Amino acid sequence: MTLLVAGGTLMTISASRSKVSDYSSIASASKAISEDTPFNKMMQVLTHERCVNCHPTDNIPKQGNDSHPHYFGMMRGEENLGFAATKCTTCHQTENNAYSGVPGAPHWSLAPKSMGWQGLNKYEIAEAMLDKTKNGNRSHSELIHHLTQDSLVLWAFEPGVDQEGIPREKPPISEAAYKAAVLAWFENGAVVPEE
Amino acid sequence: MAKNKKKLSRRKFLVRGGLGTLGVLAVGTYVFRNPIRRQIAGMIDTGETPYLGNTKSPILWFEITKDNKIILYSPKVEMGQGTFTGLAQIAADELEVSMEQIAVAHAPSSSGNMDDFATGGSTSISSLWVPLRELAATLREMIKMEAAKKMGTVATSLSVKDGVISEGDRTITYAEAAKDVTEWDIPDTPPLKDMKDYQFIGKPISRVDLKDKVFGTPIFGMDATMPNMLYGAVVRPTVIGATYAEADTSKAENMPGVVKVVKEQDFVGVVANSRMEAENAKNAIDVKWDIPKVWQTADIEAMIEVGKGEPYVIQKEGSPKKTLQEDETLIISEFKSPIGAHAQLEPNGALAYVEGDKATVMMSTQVVKITRNEIAERLGLEKEQVNIVPTFLGGGFGRRLHTPNGIQAAVLSKAVGTPVKCFLDRKEEFQNDTFRPPTHHVLKAKLNEKGLIEAIEHNVSSGDVAWGSPMLPSVVETILGADLGAWRGGMIQYGAIPNYQAISWRVKLPFATSWWRSLGLLANTFAIESFMDELAAKAGKDPVQFRLDQIQDDDRGYRLKEVIKAAADKAGWTDKVVNGRAMGFAASTDVNTPCAQIVEVSVENNEIKVHKVTCAMDPGLVVNPDQVKAQCEGAIIMGMSASLFERMYVEEGQLQPTIYGPYEMALMKHAPKEIDVVLLQNADVPGGVGEPPLGPIGAAIANAVFRLTGERLREMPLKIS
Amino acid sequence: MKITFSVNEMPQSIEIDDENTPLLWVIRDMLDLKGTKFGCGKAACGACTLHVDGEAVRSCSYPAKLVEGKKVTTIEGLGSEEHPHPVQQAWVEEVVPQCGYCQPGFMMATAALLDKIPEPTDNDIDQNIINVCRCATYYRMRKAIHRAAVIKKNTTQPVNSESDG
Repeated sequence: MTLLVAGGTLMTISASRSKVSDYSSIASASKAISEDTPFNKMMQVLTHERCVNCHPTDNIPKQGNDSHPHYFGMMRGEENLGFAATKCTTCHQTENNAYSGVPGAPHWSLAPKSMGWQGLNKYEIAEAMLDKTKNGNRSHSELIHHLTQDSLVLWAFEPGVDQEGIPREKPPISEAAYKAAVLAWFENGAVVPEE
Repeated sequence: MAKNKKKLSRRKFLVRGGLGTLGVLAVGTYVFRNPIRRQIAGMIDTGETPYLGNTKSPILWFEITKDNKIILYSPKVEMGQGTFTGLAQIAADELEVSMEQIAVAHAPSSSGNMDDFATGGSTSISSLWVPLRELAATLREMIKMEAAKKMGTVATSLSVKDGVISEGDRTITYAEAAKDVTEWDIPDTPPLKDMKDYQFIGKPISRVDLKDKVFGTPIFGMDATMPNMLYGAVVRPTVIGATYAEADTSKAENMPGVVKVVKEQDFVGVVANSRMEAENAKNAIDVKWDIPKVWQTADIEAMIEVGKGEPYVIQKEGSPKKTLQEDETLIISEFKSPIGAHAQLEPNGALAYVEGDKATVMMSTQVVKITRNEIAERLGLEKEQVNIVPTFLGGGFGRRLHTPNGIQAAVLSKAVGTPVKCFLDRKEEFQNDTFRPPTHHVLKAKLNEKGLIEAIEHNVSSGDVAWGSPMLPSVVETILGADLGAWRGGMIQYGAIPNYQAISWRVKLPFATSWWRSLGLLANTFAIESFMDELAAKAGKDPVQFRLDQIQDDDRGYRLKEVIKAAADKAGWTDKVVNGRAMGFAASTDVNTPCAQIVEVSVENNEIKVHKVTCAMDPGLVVNPDQVKAQCEGAIIMGMSASLFERMYVEEGQLQPTIYGPYEMALMKHAPKEIDVVLLQNADVPGGVGEPPLGPIGAAIANAVFRLTGERLREMPLKIS
Repeated sequence: MKITFSVNEMPQSIEIDDENTPLLWVIRDMLDLKGTKFGCGKAACGACTLHVDGEAVRSCSYPAKLVEGKKVTTIEGLGSEEHPHPVQQAWVEEVVPQCGYCQPGFMMATAALLDKIPEPTDNDIDQNIINVCRCATYYRMRKAIHRAAVIKKNTTQPVNSESDG
């Protein structure tokens, strides 16, 4: 099998000629080396609380780094916009609010239930993302646009401060690195690796 | 069998003598040898507080307007408990005016009509029941006397109705009679009317402040304005025990809109052109605090433990210690309650204008006189030079039984020479609250061969409630010993039990704990009434009958039994689980008002749902049945909120949480869809209303949950594990 | 920054240095409409609820710059003593308020609810009415909301609804 390593060198390992213990240590080493793939970089962002909190698999938006259920019983509502009269936009506006600590971005809402990611691992999320029956019938180019241009998606990188004035934790890589990873992954065929 | 209790005469406590009988009440004997201690304790227990203020001068209380209306200047503040409406009814009935002809306003301190106590303790109506009627009746006679003069006749030939005095065809209005009077003849207090002759007292009159509150009239402290008003903000501690050392205000001084930075010995603040500018500048001030210790929740919990702190025996009957020997028949249970925040919606604050040797402060407070005195002292003024103009409170609940924020607003105003409006923000409210103290309870009991209680003991460890409050002079502390707020509701109310005692373990916590609506009543009733259910179960008895069988035969016992029976009857009491729902029962007596509640509860997805509450209460004479019901409804849900959701904790020295949401409270969806209130009136004077209905709810819910799940919940907030 | 908008059908124009000033303070302190309340400043309690272009908004978390060209309704504009909004009329009939501080926010949230759902179920009420009331007047509020729905329905019925032929 072939492993892509940062720096571009290729290492080829012939499993049939190695001892089991060699294989397992190489496998764990190769796993560590492979953390840096575009897929993994992209998924480090997409599995972060800033994203998953609004991609619940149930009907409850989540909040905070502990992803607790949104206070006051706020829920998805009929159109992912909250309840009929008490909508997401009753409190969340088109940008973050530094005084109240309420986050905001254009068209603040929940991702549709078909794009529910909470509880899924990164492979499952990626599969779901590519699945046209779940992703709003998006083609790859439309997915790229959504992932790299949508202002609500990109909110994750400018998540504002909380009600104590403390900046929210951002995803572990920069917006630029994330965008590059998304582009690279799609360019290389949007392959979801084996789990 | 009930012992012959020593009856304590009420008449010793009443400033106004001899009217009405609440039945002569037995309060049980106390171990206090000091007779004064016993009297004060009895007074607190029975809620008989005489009104401590002027009861002689109608001119101080009332004003007659040109359009023939009466303004009642109330020294008691309106915080939603309906006092203004009740007082208006009481006054209107003796004054012979209609409800449309009477208006109630807060008495500014400069009028001299101030209360030496406070608005709180469920005492406003009960303490003014006699004095206000007498004042109103006296004013009516004063007006009649003037009318007689103007009409050239005698007062005895005049009749009065709806603010109009007549003799045959000739009429004169109150306003006309009062016109140009410079010196009033004040007659002896006339006899009061018979109950049957009252038009308004006893009726469900609509609130006098209803329209203002529905149509958004600016009536709250937060709404106050004055010309040329500026906005202030003060840096307050976020960490327990922090004292102000010094501040770097250089950045704040240059921020937009800042008029002045004010540095005092004990605080630093800023005055600016707008609220946001003041807040932003305040946030830019770098304060150095002295913090002797960084507290955690575990530290606090370790302090609040029965056995720690100073013990005071607050109640004793028979030989409980001897009977409760440790052996296999001794039943012991423990219970706990957390720190509770007031969380009232209107933050504390004031609008102050200090002009030379005069200060006017508009603010929401429950202690007008004390606040006035504190501000005067701080400013170096005479008391009479400070005028507190009380406003409608956006929630009191005991939060405003000390309002030193008035001092800060006044100091800021003095520094800039204009009115300054200075309020706390929500985080400051949560972290500078005077909390309901956490408690720990240990109850012990033994049953006799008949399955009734042979002996029972309640130990409660609590942070102070009353101490540290400027409301109580320290002499009272010395006399009473135990904190009288913490053990409220902590005594055993089942007087037929041969041996019982209640012991209060007093702990001084490192943060302010004080009066929270009903004080110790909620937690104490939770502990005692949960334990009573446990004992009933051990005895194989119905919990309601178990209570009834152990209540003494006297007036107090009679009134308690009647509310228990009324609640059970109205609710259709059963101890069976029906359609996934169970009932739970509890009862308490507070400020001489017994209250029994039965809840109907289900548990769904580990969530406790309260579907219905039946509440039977006997507050004595009911001035406004609709408002008494409203107090029951509100107190029940507030008690539910504290029992099921609310909890403050301490993390790295900070009291948390600091916002609604994380500080979980009952919302619309949690409120029971059915609340039935049955009011009994087995006494002919009004007792307390605002706090008593808070007592039973926690225990009633816990008792119902036990019936449903077999799990005995011993800690508030109650959670299914 | 200059911001032009309307409040309770009256055109307003303000000059403000900080365009992120919460609308709450513009309404309360600049326009002196005190009915809308400050409870927390963090959009948690709902005491600041008003309507912007017919939608319920928590004004403590709504920057002034966003209100340009919009229509704001506050409790003062919802109705008056002479012409109460059905919600206000119901609130009076059921004698809902105790301290009263949170009530305008609840009434504005309720008015928005009835606009969207003229006959809300208890579940609709539970989901949409999530403000905080410390006096815990929720029991009467629920009754008043159902009553308001009835009042609203009766007052918008055409006068000749029986003559359908």
